Formats: sequence, C-alpha cells, structure tokens
Amino acid sequence: MAAQAPVKKKRKGIVGALALAAILIGLYWSLIVAPPDAYQGEVQRIMYLHLPSILTAYLSYFLVFIGSGMYLWKREKRDDILAHSAAEIGVLFTALTIIEGSIWGRTTWGVWWTWDARLTLTAILLLIYVGYLMLRSLIEDEDRAAVAGAVLGIIGFLDIPLIHMSVYWWRTLHQPPSILRPDKAPWENIAWPLLVPLIINIVAFLLLYFYLLSLRYRLGEMRAEIRTLRLQREA
Amino acid sequence: MGPWGFVGLAYGIVWGTILIYWFCLKRRYKEAETELARLKAVAERLDDVEA
Repeated sequence: MAAQAPVKKKRKGIVGALALAAILIGLYWSLIVAPPDAYQGEVQRIMYLHLPSILTAYLSYFLVFIGSGMYLWKREKRDDILAHSAAEIGVLFTALTIIEGSIWGRTTWGVWWTWDARLTLTAILLLIYVGYLMLRSLIEDEDRAAVAGAVLGIIGFLDIPLIHMSVYWWRTLHQPPSILRPDKAPWENIAWPLLVPLIINIVAFLLLYFYLLSLRYRLGEMRAEIRTLRLQREA
Repeated sequence: MGPWGFVGLAYGIVWGTILIYWFCLKRRYKEAETELARLKAVAERLDDVEA
C-alpha cells in the first residue's frame, strides 16, 4: 500500500468543507427557516435528523455487505477495510437514530421506548454491528477476524429489509413511510417548505458520511501498513 | 420540557456525538500517521545499514 497521495488528501478536504457548509445550511433551514408542522408543531424538526441519519446508516451497512461479500470472494484487504470502516460509522448513525427517535417518541407517543417491531428490529441491527466490532477486536488473527466479521456483516444486513417491511407486516406504533412511498412522489406527501430542509439535511449527512468514511478507511489502511512493517521487523 | 427543549436535546446529542467521534477519529488518524512514519524511517535505516 502506498502513502496517501496529496490529491486524495485535497479531495478529502474538499468533501469535509462541503459537508460542513451543508450541515450549517441544514441547521439554519431546519431550525429557523422551516415552519412548524401543522399537527406536531416544533418537535417535527427532529425529522430533519431522524430520516437522514437512518438513511446514512442503511448506506453504511450496504457498504459493509458489499465489502464483506467481496472480501469473502476475492480476499482483498481493501474490501475488509471498507467493511470494517463502514460498520463503525454505521453503528454511530444507528445509535443516533435510536436516540433521536426516542426523544421524538416521547413527545408524540408519550414514551421514550416501546417494543414496537420497527424499534426492536433497529435495536437488534445496532446490537449486531456492535457485536461485529467486538468480534473484530476480540480475534487476534487478522485474517480470521476479517472472515468472521464478513460473515456477520452479511447476516446483519438481512435485518434491514425486515426493518423496512416491519411497518407493513405487523401492527406497529411507528408509522409506515410517509415520504418515501412507492405509490407517490415525495413532494406529493410533504409540503415543499418541509421537504427542502429534509433534502438539504440528507445531502449534508451523506457528505459528512463520505468524509468520515474516507478518514476511517485511510486509518484502516495505515493500520494494515503498520502491522506489515512490524511483522517484517520481527521476522 | 417544552417542544424546543426536546428539539434542542435531539440536535445537541446528535451534533455533539458526531463532533466527539470526529475528534477521536482525527486523533486515531494522527497517531497512526506518526507511528507509520516512525516505522518507515526505522525500516529505511535498517535497509541502509544492510546495504
């Protein structure tokens, strides 16, 4: 593995700057420009965090799935690094989704937590990937840890379709999708003044995600190089 | 707590946690960068000695 090229560092800096700008615009739009919701009032502003963070978490686990599958197939270290990096950031965004959801639930349902199908399956998703990170750190042999992680990474991803379908299959407190529905375009389900800050925040979260992922991926690469150099020194 | 209190709590936790994660990630990144540079320098010195 070669040292990181200055072009890549510059690209990372640009993505980071764009993410920061989008986050600041998103905050301004969500908290100041956007009007309160007709039914939920001001607390509906939590949606501008809740939906972008779960979409980011899903994207992250999709990359874990792809990286894990590719690693099991080709045994290339870069795929394992991608899966490991994406899992760590996915855990962060899943935990944040559950916390935001809990605060939102307290104001709309009157409870911080309920054993609703969607909430429970999301908590299971978080536990699976916390388990993934623990498994990776507990197995000393790097290759064995990568294989075990890849298997768990793929199995864990199967929970996501269950989370998505849970609101259709079971009677849940969590409402079915109200914006991203297959039968209607998003702008037919939500007023534009509420949709604009949501789109800005989704873009901001995605930019932030790719910035964090590039940092975490490079960290994984450097750690692999460090291990190789140490092994060479010991040999 | 009023509605803005809950909104502030959610935004504070989310952005505070992301900021802490970013700081920790940057610190881990810098540590790995320093360690890698040190090991590479040692390896180069050893190569020079062997040559």
